[in-house]
Amino acid sequence: MKFIVSSTYLLKQLQVLGGVINNSNTLPILDNFLFDLKQDKLTVSASDLETTMSSVLNVDSDNEGTIAVPAKLLLETLKTFPEQPLTFVVEDNNTVEISSNHGKYALAYADGAEFPKAVELANPSSTSIMGDILATAIDKTIFAAGNDDLRPVMSGVFFQFSPESLTFVATDAHKLVKYQRTDVTASQVAEFIMPKKPLTLLKGILAGSESDVLIEYNDSNAKFSFENTELICRLIDGKYPNYEAVIPKENPNQLSISRTQFLSSVKRVAIFSNKTTHQIRLKIAGAELNISAEDIDYSNKAEERLTCSYQGDDMQIGFNSRFLTEMLNNLNSDDVSLEMSLPNRAGILTPIDGLDEGENVTMLVMPVMLNS
Amino acid sequence: MSNDFPRRKIIHVDMDAFYASVEQLDHPELRGKPIAVGGSSKRGVVAAASYEARKFGVRSAMSSVIAQRNCPELIFVKPRFDRYREISHQIRNIFYEYTDLVEPLSLDEAYLDVTVNKKGNPSATLIAQEIRQRIFDTTGLNASAGISINKFIAKVASDVNKPNGQKTVNPEEVLQFLEDLEIRKFYGVGKVTAEKMYKLGIFTGKDLKQKTEQFLEEHFGKSGRYYYHVVRGIHTSPVKPHRIPKSVGAERTFSENLSSEIFMLERLDHIASELERRLKKSKTAGKTVTLKIKYSDFTLNTRSKTLPYYIAEKELILETAKELLYQEKLQNSVRLLGISLANLNTEKDTKTQKKETVSVQLKFDF
Repeated sequence: MKFIVSSTYLLKQLQVLGGVINNSNTLPILDNFLFDLKQDKLTVSASDLETTMSSVLNVDSDNEGTIAVPAKLLLETLKTFPEQPLTFVVEDNNTVEISSNHGKYALAYADGAEFPKAVELANPSSTSIMGDILATAIDKTIFAAGNDDLRPVMSGVFFQFSPESLTFVATDAHKLVKYQRTDVTASQVAEFIMPKKPLTLLKGILAGSESDVLIEYNDSNAKFSFENTELICRLIDGKYPNYEAVIPKENPNQLSISRTQFLSSVKRVAIFSNKTTHQIRLKIAGAELNISAEDIDYSNKAEERLTCSYQGDDMQIGFNSRFLTEMLNNLNSDDVSLEMSLPNRAGILTPIDGLDEGENVTMLVMPVMLNS
Repeated sequence: MSNDFPRRKIIHVDMDAFYASVEQLDHPELRGKPIAVGGSSKRGVVAAASYEARKFGVRSAMSSVIAQRNCPELIFVKPRFDRYREISHQIRNIFYEYTDLVEPLSLDEAYLDVTVNKKGNPSATLIAQEIRQRIFDTTGLNASAGISINKFIAKVASDVNKPNGQKTVNPEEVLQFLEDLEIRKFYGVGKVTAEKMYKLGIFTGKDLKQKTEQFLEEHFGKSGRYYYHVVRGIHTSPVKPHRIPKSVGAERTFSENLSSEIFMLERLDHIASELERRLKKSKTAGKTVTLKIKYSDFTLNTRSKTLPYYIAEKELILETAKELLYQEKLQNSVRLLGISLANLNTEKDTKTQKKETVSVQLKFDF
């Protein structure tokens, strides 16, 4: 087995794939990239058993063969090379020899047959979506997903496909984001929960990409195919909470305000909040929003006043400032709307402008109850 | 009677027909006449009746209509709680001259622990005598007293020589006194429990004493254990000078029975406002909201919900109360609605200081 490939081209692909590999693996074979050579097509795969990603590279070769090469060693080596052709030759003594302009390097390889095979999707349904739209959907939602091992369903992003729209939802029970596109649809109704790790990878690869991503899925797995790359992952098993039920229907109190002004005030005031609760208080009366925080333990206190447009009864509501900051940071609009009903009901944060046609973002945040 | 628990000297002071006596005191023309303090309306109840009225069978908590029927001459007087409070305050000041361990039960009743007292008087009987005299000299009102080794017996004893009398149950007499006591006179045994006791063949303290703790617990639950101990002269509850209220509530009896939830919402709004006012006044907040529903047939239904955080605002109280109202279908038309808030943030003294910084991050209700 022998092939020649451009060093930077190979590095670029391997760096993307390397994201799949865990830092510590119980199965040593997973520390490797799988190289599967078929003439001038080299398929490189990486896996953590849950997620498997592979890319097809164009190389110069007329051989065939399958080997598993240590990922860390290879990446470290490749990073040091300026652009140049590299020759990979598999020797008899279970080593692969790389020849560069500078010299020769031998790496021990494992038999490619030891590498776990990616699952085949039986009877998949499919839909297609533009790469950048998928990346945006992930970017808008993933931060709200939880980390609780006890509620694994909430550690992922809920994909809800229908002939009317595609909906992406994430929540950790304190905050919730619903991102909906009515300009992209699926042929059938389908629902599944995607784990965070493959989504983070996809987000990185697909941001700004105008090529289409084919999403195939069944009850247990999903496959994302685009350009020369495929990602197959296991879905999170379980029933996603009925998130529609927690979106308050009647919200008589509506606040509109400049997002950046609101954000910077929250950030500044939050510095003075209690270090464990991060609690800030919003007091709204007339056209004035009063944001305050207090850390009683250290006698630190801050208060800011902002003008806003407000319709509703005067009210006071407490929030965790970190949630508000995360959510406001994640939006791109100039102005946002915060709708509320009662101080113990979720606040609904939505962008007022800057959305694409057919794009819809709803963010929910549960308040903090003040004990006074 | 053995000495295996600390011997205490407890006095229970109970004013005689307090509200009615105050009215007769302030309005000489009412003296010697049957009077009832309370509303005379169709739905009014007697808050207190003078001894003249009691002869006709007028009792407190009796509906005004029935009272009027029992005693056609009955004069109804509107209650003046501020005045009662003022006099109650004077009486309490007398108590404090003897001991700081005063546990007021209401405006007209209190327990005093005089085991150690400011006058150094070893006789609780004489102290009680003195206190009653002082009350009369100061206010012109009569009081009765019960003196014994615990709150339970003192309370029962104060009733023995009422009005204007007192009764001491000495430590060596305690067991006999309890054995001879009729079961319905036991403090904590009401009409319903008494009926139940009768059915089980329990008529006096002696009968009660013959039952095992297990038997009583089986039939009366937690109270069974209380009865078992109390009849043996064991009641260790201390006189608590700073009684912290366990709950704050407000309720309303309607002039007409209500049968639809829609009409009740408006009433709940009023009750919640009143409750909010009371909470503000006592500067408390609570976690457990209880909705009390009294049906037209006087059966009582309570529904409660405990929230993970403290509330004191009307909107939140009302919201939870509404939820409780709609939780289950009403079984009958309703004559009374009440909302109370328990699990108050004042309950544990040690924790209150820390609680100022406690805040609760709410979660979605998945």
